[in-house]
Amino acid sequence: MKVPYVEDKPTPGGFRTPSEDDLGRMIRDTVESWNPRRGPDWSDVLIRLANSGPPAWLLYTAASAALIVILIAAYLLGSALQIGALGPQPVPSNLH
Amino acid sequence: MTDERELDPATEFRQLYDQQYLSVFRSIRGVVLETAAAEDLTQETFVRAYRARHRYTPTAPPGAWLRRIGINLAISYLRRQKLARVLPARLYIAPDRREYDRAEARDVVTKALTTLSPKLRAAVVLHYYDGLTREEIASVLGVPPGTVASRIAKAVAIMRKSIGSDQDLGPERSSSEGALRGR
Repeated sequence: MKVPYVEDKPTPGGFRTPSEDDLGRMIRDTVESWNPRRGPDWSDVLIRLANSGPPAWLLYTAASAALIVILIAAYLLGSALQIGALGPQPVPSNLH
Repeated sequence: MTDERELDPATEFRQLYDQQYLSVFRSIRGVVLETAAAEDLTQETFVRAYRARHRYTPTAPPGAWLRRIGINLAISYLRRQKLARVLPARLYIAPDRREYDRAEARDVVTKALTTLSPKLRAAVVLHYYDGLTREEIASVLGVPPGTVASRIAKAVAIMRKSIGSDQDLGPERSSSEGALRGR
């Protein structure tokens, strides 16, 4: 008598769907097969470090500080020389 | 990652680079799914880590610290790529993906990984390849452990479905189908 083939270890989701353990092994095997084409290159890291400028936070802090200094200097200079809006303002005569 | 001696980034960075390069590369490669980009991002990871080496605090192993930097860089890279695609065509030069399509999409697991979002891929690689616990992954990704658990569960469900449907299409469609039968 012919007996139909039955999968002995069915997994949730279907006979061909891998179990979680199988999937974990498959992922590990696949990831372990990934290799860089060049490999570690410490000299490239040093070159990148030498070519990179100051960090962004330092640039923004320095630029903000410079702007504040310029604004304070302009205010002090303007009020000392009495120029622009910091100079004496004409008072309308009809207010007296 | 845990069976190797933990090196101090501040004083033994060169040795740390040699020790962790491959696993950091593979973790990043699992997120971006491109070898060339992963190599570049791995180097950038170590550049950033070198600059911050004196700020490292030994609350987590140096490997987890490096992965945190690398995974964040990889997710930022993918965000920039996504943004670049909405720019006018003349400003954006699409990367040549023919090599990737030919050599890498043939792998059934890689194909399943491409169906996941970068954040789900990061959780899967950190859990199944790096063998990190949910708490360690939560520390690397900067999310609560419960979020990590749900991301892994969701990713596993999607990947199992993807691999199952891929194998239902026939043995000629996947080169690593035998991996399942051999286990």
